[in-house]
Amino acid sequence: MFANSSQHKYWLFSGETELAKHRAEANKTYIEHYRQGQTDEEVAKFFLTPAEERILGRQYEVVLRKFCSEFQPPMPKCVIGTSLAFFKRFYVFNSTMDYHPKDIMLTCVYLACKVEEFYVPIGQFVKNLRGDREKFADAILSFELTLMGKLNYQLTVHNPFRAMEGFMIDLKTRHQELHNPEKIRKYVEEFLDRSLLSDACLIFSPSQIALAAIKFGAAKESISLDGYIKTVVLRLASDKEAENTLYQLRRVKAIVKSFEPTTREQAQAVQKKLDRCRNQENNPDSDIYKQKAIDKLNAEDDIPAVKRTKISQDNGS
Amino acid sequence: MDEQGCPRCKTTKYRNPSLKLLVNVCGHSLCESCVDLLFVKGSGVCPECNTSLRRTNFRLQLFEDPFVEKEIDIRRKVLRDYNKKEEDFATLEDYNDYLETIETIVYNLSNHINIDETKRMIEQYKKDNREQIKKNQSKLSKDEEMLESLIEQEQQETLMRKAMIKQDEQREKAAKRKHKDDLIDDLMFSELSAQAIITSYRESAKQEEEEFKAKSAATAFSTGIKIGHQNNVVPMSRTEQGVMYRYCPLVMEWCGPDPPSMDDIYSDGYLKNIRLASDAEKAGGFREAIACHRALQEAFCGLFSYPTISPSPLKQPALAASMSH
Repeated sequence: MFANSSQHKYWLFSGETELAKHRAEANKTYIEHYRQGQTDEEVAKFFLTPAEERILGRQYEVVLRKFCSEFQPPMPKCVIGTSLAFFKRFYVFNSTMDYHPKDIMLTCVYLACKVEEFYVPIGQFVKNLRGDREKFADAILSFELTLMGKLNYQLTVHNPFRAMEGFMIDLKTRHQELHNPEKIRKYVEEFLDRSLLSDACLIFSPSQIALAAIKFGAAKESISLDGYIKTVVLRLASDKEAENTLYQLRRVKAIVKSFEPTTREQAQAVQKKLDRCRNQENNPDSDIYKQKAIDKLNAEDDIPAVKRTKISQDNGS
Repeated sequence: MDEQGCPRCKTTKYRNPSLKLLVNVCGHSLCESCVDLLFVKGSGVCPECNTSLRRTNFRLQLFEDPFVEKEIDIRRKVLRDYNKKEEDFATLEDYNDYLETIETIVYNLSNHINIDETKRMIEQYKKDNREQIKKNQSKLSKDEEMLESLIEQEQQETLMRKAMIKQDEQREKAAKRKHKDDLIDDLMFSELSAQAIITSYRESAKQEEEEFKAKSAATAFSTGIKIGHQNNVVPMSRTEQGVMYRYCPLVMEWCGPDPPSMDDIYSDGYLKNIRLASDAEKAGGFREAIACHRALQEAFCGLFSYPTISPSPLKQPALAASMSH
């Protein structure tokens, strides 16, 4: 259940201010580590600012969702939700300069497929990509462990989709004044889809998002569900709890509605800047990365080789 | 580890589980059928090392490594001559040196090192100590003596116990007979009524029987546990009993309003609003109420979630751990 999940304990933040603070910290840590005595002006020119990082992150969230919706075989919604949740969680404490969102994005989807029990073998997975598929496969597999480590191995994500279905059933049963609840479903799902691109899943519980979506969908059909929420859902809640919940519902709506997509031009400008300041150690195309991979391979080879010679010595004696 | 097998016909224990490996003095193993084949005449040479062997000297290979068998053979032969005991030496050091020499000889012989020299050494030793060897052959070692005395003692004890039981039985029989005779005598000559005599005798008989029982129980107790029989009595091991398991009903933490219970789902008509399970699903144990229950739980769980503005301490480990990776 959500109430004692790692999502509730570790991955809910008080609001966008707190999220912005963590992201700025990650940005600062990266710059401090790689600035090499540059002045503040040069730093501002060379490295990405937290705002630019957000643009990039949002851009890639859109790309991720598009990739998922065109994925073959078609994937269930919870995989999209989980992969976006992984992506967002990852960039709360990490800078886009350190790990390029392009690699992390694919790894998130691949991992989410496994976590949500929609396993697609890596060969079939990369068939959904254009370009050098082998290289993609290598990159995904090499980042998978890093990603899990950065997520603290807390891989269970509670998505709002099932909660939404629960509310639909409850509406049909306990709020029969609403004659045809199915007609609001279209708007509800639209709202949930939009919420995926916002930071809602890092701030609110899935049930709050789902209830906000239901409320929003009903409002679109000019039906008010305030009565249902107050007298049925929150019937036994204390005043304080009810107040908090209603406040959270309003916030969900505000955050999801205030979301605006980034423009292509903005994103391209940021990406150009990123190509220069990104961490080359985590770039699968760079020489440093390749050299590191080779070193690692050799190191792995060395250990069994040493053992083998030892054994043969033992036999000889 | 290589599979154990016959070096001549290459059969292995895996392919023929009833394979019997035999070994001779040279320490090379052969399977039973190969031995039958090669040593029809009673003697022949080892196919591995060309040592001439006798068929009668083949015996079952007990150890996986035939080399061990060979070493045992050699050791037995050497010990037949080197049979001095600890008492034959003045100091412990001398005895240890002597044991050391035996080990060297065995090692040399089984590894083909300085065979001629070693054999000569043995011959020399035999010549020097002929008398003592003979004497020691007939003498038993201290350990053996002790074992023998123990066995003897045990046998004696069993005999004694048997005799005692027999005696007891006889005594009892005699007492009973005497009792009967007394009773008849009394009935014939006493002035008391027959009834009173019989009851008084019966009582005294009972008393005697009880006395005897107590006595025999005591003897059984005192003789039952003796040195040689201690092993038969296995003390019951008392198992440590932990605290009894107590069932505590699961308390769900909802962080939200209580969702409808399973009973509510059935009684409030939730099932009218969901897809009913097909027959195939029902056969697998699925009920539509289960899915409904789960969806409702997810809907209500976490509704009251309200993260406070200051980051809770719980979030810190997540941050620290992810930064350190």
